Amino acid sequence: MPASRRLARAFAVEGVAVAVIFVGMVVFFSLASPFFLTGGNIANLLVETVIIALLAAGMTFVLVVGGIDLSVGSVTGLSAATTMWALMSGLPLPVGLLVGIGTGLVAGVVNGAVIALLGVNDFIVTLAMLSVGAGLLQVVTSDVQLTGVQSDAFAWLTQGSVLGLPAPVLIAVVVVLVLEFVLVATPFGRSAYAAGIGPRAAELAGVPVRRVRFGVYVLSGACAGGAGVLLASKLNSVQSGLGSGYELTAIAAAVLGGISLAGGRGSVWRAVLGAVFLGTLGQGLQMLGVDPLWFTIVTGLSIVAAVALDRVVGRVALSRLLGADRPTGGPADPSTPLRDAALENEDPRSVQPLAGSAREARTS
Amino acid sequence: MPDRDTQEPGPQELLRVEGVVKHYPGVVALSGVSLDVRAGEIHALLGENGAGKSTLINVLSGTTQPTSGQVLVAGEPVQLRRPRDAQDLGITTIHQELSLAPELTVLQNIFLGRELRRGPFGRGLLDEHAMSARVQGVIADFGLTERDLRRPVGEFGALTQHVVEIIKALAFDARLVILDEPTSGLAEEERVMLFDHMRRLRERGISLVWVTHRLDELYGLVDRITVLRDGRTVATTDTTESTPADLVRLMVGRKTTSLGVIAEGRTPAERPADPRAEVLRLENVSRRPVLRGVSLTIAGGEILGVAGVAGAGRTELARAILGADRIDGGRILVDGEPVRIRHPRDAYRLGIAMVPEERKTLGILADFPLDKNTTVSRLGKVARLGLMLDRRRERAVTRDYIDELGVRTTGAGERIRNLSGGNQQKIVIARCLFTGPRLIIFDEPTQGIDVAAKAEVYRLIHRFVAGGGAALVISSEIPELLHVSDRILVMREGAIAGEVRPDLRGDDLEADERVSAEIMSLAARSVA
Repeated sequence: MPASRRLARAFAVEGVAVAVIFVGMVVFFSLASPFFLTGGNIANLLVETVIIALLAAGMTFVLVVGGIDLSVGSVTGLSAATTMWALMSGLPLPVGLLVGIGTGLVAGVVNGAVIALLGVNDFIVTLAMLSVGAGLLQVVTSDVQLTGVQSDAFAWLTQGSVLGLPAPVLIAVVVVLVLEFVLVATPFGRSAYAAGIGPRAAELAGVPVRRVRFGVYVLSGACAGGAGVLLASKLNSVQSGLGSGYELTAIAAAVLGGISLAGGRGSVWRAVLGAVFLGTLGQGLQMLGVDPLWFTIVTGLSIVAAVALDRVVGRVALSRLLGADRPTGGPADPSTPLRDAALENEDPRSVQPLAGSAREARTS
Repeated sequence: MPDRDTQEPGPQELLRVEGVVKHYPGVVALSGVSLDVRAGEIHALLGENGAGKSTLINVLSGTTQPTSGQVLVAGEPVQLRRPRDAQDLGITTIHQELSLAPELTVLQNIFLGRELRRGPFGRGLLDEHAMSARVQGVIADFGLTERDLRRPVGEFGALTQHVVEIIKALAFDARLVILDEPTSGLAEEERVMLFDHMRRLRERGISLVWVTHRLDELYGLVDRITVLRDGRTVATTDTTESTPADLVRLMVGRKTTSLGVIAEGRTPAERPADPRAEVLRLENVSRRPVLRGVSLTIAGGEILGVAGVAGAGRTELARAILGADRIDGGRILVDGEPVRIRHPRDAYRLGIAMVPEERKTLGILADFPLDKNTTVSRLGKVARLGLMLDRRRERAVTRDYIDELGVRTTGAGERIRNLSGGNQQKIVIARCLFTGPRLIIFDEPTQGIDVAAKAEVYRLIHRFVAGGGAALVISSEIPELLHVSDRILVMREGAIAGEVRPDLRGDDLEADERVSAEIMSLAARSVA
């Protein structure tokens, strides 16, 4: 196989271009700022990245079934508040954690029930939940000063370490491994992919599409709850407005990881990679002394740039591959439009065998 | 209206189709179709499902390009590369699924995409006045008022929606209007009114090509008839010179071509001779308005065919049995026990599986590889402790099916979308077999797959039944039903219209013709 062809094949795999950009970014920041790769600096944005990674991991499930969960931002903030409230009321730490995660879980159950059982549009429902969550957070914080929990174990969640590994990283790794297993290796995960690929076909094949849809929102909610606990531990103080905007960052992370908004494809580790990408970018900008006011703008632009590049490079690579694979002088009539399949008999070559169609769908 | 040449005596020929052939990969949809339509006549196009009517219409409306052959309009050879070309030549096609936007008004629909504008260079604002003036002359003839033009199309019934399509054609000087089974969604009185409208179009000198299944509608309305069979024109005749019996014979034909491959596979002897225990029984099952009081039984070792025209409730019946749709009356019994099937999952657990219609959208999970397609209906069977999917077992199981069913593929890990239609369908059948079913519902199992693959699907159905399973086969192709079924139920308007028994020896073509005619007469409301 010639080298150019091998290169083309590598780039045709989605996400590869983003990964290359990621490496380039790290190299650039390391050269630009000598402190970039030193331990202390990495810890700065670490917790933030772990929180986004958690949300993106939960979001992956929702995206795989072809849905979307816009509520995770404010649910994260609300969960942080309920965690603080529970701990300040003197409840033991495990109960406090359960209250936090449970808050997210309840929000997920409501989302899932309304979307899957009543059939209301997912965008609307989770947008409403976003609003409700933000409102509740405001109500809770207006009454009580949620700050100053005296608990070393609670603080350890984000500041501690095991054998030199920061605790939040450890937590993230465990959660991500479990979630990746659930998505890839269990009947539930398989059903989620099936429901995302073709809900009607999956339903007729006996996949409990509604139940799966319900399940992914619960899971996403629980992840938001967990993220809220970490956020509370990090800040040890909760104000209204906490967590707002996280939902978009989480979706951006998933998209950067190559997860299709059209459903049916994606994996947890890829979404986490996207989160790490965004975290590194933020870290790098900070190191370079860029005004934080510009962060979100740069982040937004870089997402578009990365995904567009991934798509363009991928498409060029793909067409090269297909061009090389196509037998010369085939019977296919080039003037025949693709929609020409009145008899439903497709020319296998008209359906792109690699990631092509998903690429089309991903950024739609 | 465009000028028509009227110097020559005799009926003027508007459209001529000569030797049109259309190949799709693996399928010959048209193998030599000829058609001539005179100016100002109503010309019926008859044929069974799969005879090539739709493909011919697609060629005439510019959505499909023929492999060879030519189309002449008013004596001139023309190229119909896209729908716009046909429209510019005055050929308008009114499809069975009307292409109207229900939210838009009648007027907006008529001019959709071709709006009249005023202002500089005709690119300014929409000129509502000019648009309504343009149709002013015709709307009264078709029973519409000025006010109706401003009402949303969705407020009107099916008949008026057809009328809107007709006016649309007239507004852009159509010379030929192709109507694809326009009466299938209409009530009796509406049908009569539509026929009046068709006569009115003829009076205006417009030609109509009318695709229909219903022989009783032809007489007194249609001038000439062309019959297609197996992608070819078998006859063109004046309506007055043919009887319904002639037409049925022409449509059904001597099935040597389409059944030649099949006949050898017809092996009723393999099946258990004695009737086995009943597997499924329906008692008065209803889902209004699509299913009305359906009762039937299927026993092990039996193939029950279901015939009927589109919209007769065949797929709805399958969906109700599978639990994809709720039923609102009646009982379903499996092995004599009443059961409640709320979801297809319940059906699979009870030993009922389905090969759905529309393989590409409802059958396969296109992005999944073969193994994930095979196991998706019973994931519990390949999960350790019901928790962790055993990929190795999934692959092994799928490989077994690939060998057993003769699936042509590079391996169990290949994506199903890369397979040909017939091989995709075999994997869908494998998925059903994997659930360990005693009844498989096949809904249009050979839709869009080539002849060789069809024969293999029949073989698989026979083999499943020979092993004691029961099969319910829904098909629009009567020869297919005659070939596979022990009994055939004919559905009409959501109810069972009757039952026929095909001749099982398979060599008696006279009997096949007789049974086909019987099915057709049961499926239509009445036969003249």
